[in-house]
Amino acid sequence: MPQYLVAGYLPDDFDPSQMDEAVGREIHALNEEMIAAGVRKFACGLGAAKSLRPQSDGGVLVTDGPYLETKEHIGGFWILECADMDEAVAWARKGVAATRGQVEIREIFFVPTPE
Amino acid sequence: MPQYLIAIQHPEDYDPSLEGEAMIRDIAALNEEMDAAGARFFAGGLESARHARSLRKQPGGGVSITDGPYLEAKEHVGGFWILDCADLDEALAWGRKAVVACRVPVEVRAFLRIRPKRESPGRGGSA
Repeated sequence: MPQYLVAGYLPDDFDPSQMDEAVGREIHALNEEMIAAGVRKFACGLGAAKSLRPQSDGGVLVTDGPYLETKEHIGGFWILECADMDEAVAWARKGVAATRGQVEIREIFFVPTPE
Repeated sequence: MPQYLIAIQHPEDYDPSLEGEAMIRDIAALNEEMDAAGARFFAGGLESARHARSLRKQPGGGVSITDGPYLEAKEHVGGFWILDCADLDEALAWGRKAVVACRVPVEVRAFLRIRPKRESPGRGGSA
């Protein structure tokens, strides 16, 4: 069955300790619903970033902070196993409602393709 | 053990069909090395960002769905590993190998372990 990344975006200055309790409860309830439906492979929130860039001399430069200079970053994600994109979209709609946030869906592929 | 996301960054016009055999071998070897070390929890590539769908909350409470990535950026996450590592240094060591194998920049982020005021959503099933 195809797998999908459902990623939630947060502003740079988001502070998880200031998150409303009702939001936390709704995200928890959505996770319970996904588990009951058997679609949830993995779920998480993300912490601070470090970036690693290849250098022309073959070395790797490590810096603090996210790789992309944007005002929003992925704050967490679900990996869901769904029949198709429509089912992933239906779960992502619930993700928008529960998190009060913005969500992106990407299909995951595997090399080599699993049997 | 803490878990870390190692996300590889691709230009928006990246075409995985143009990846060379040497690079594919290097990535396969890195995956095997991660498996042998017991570090690899999950790994997957992502269909290119132009195939993404983005869902935005609307002021009226509705949700709009559009084709394409959420961020208007010239690069997007092209694939990722979820690794079990003792600490950030170990995750960065794997990240360095990922930069070399994939020939692209990567971003390393720890997963949050403390969920204040509520129960942790926990970890998903094994991938």
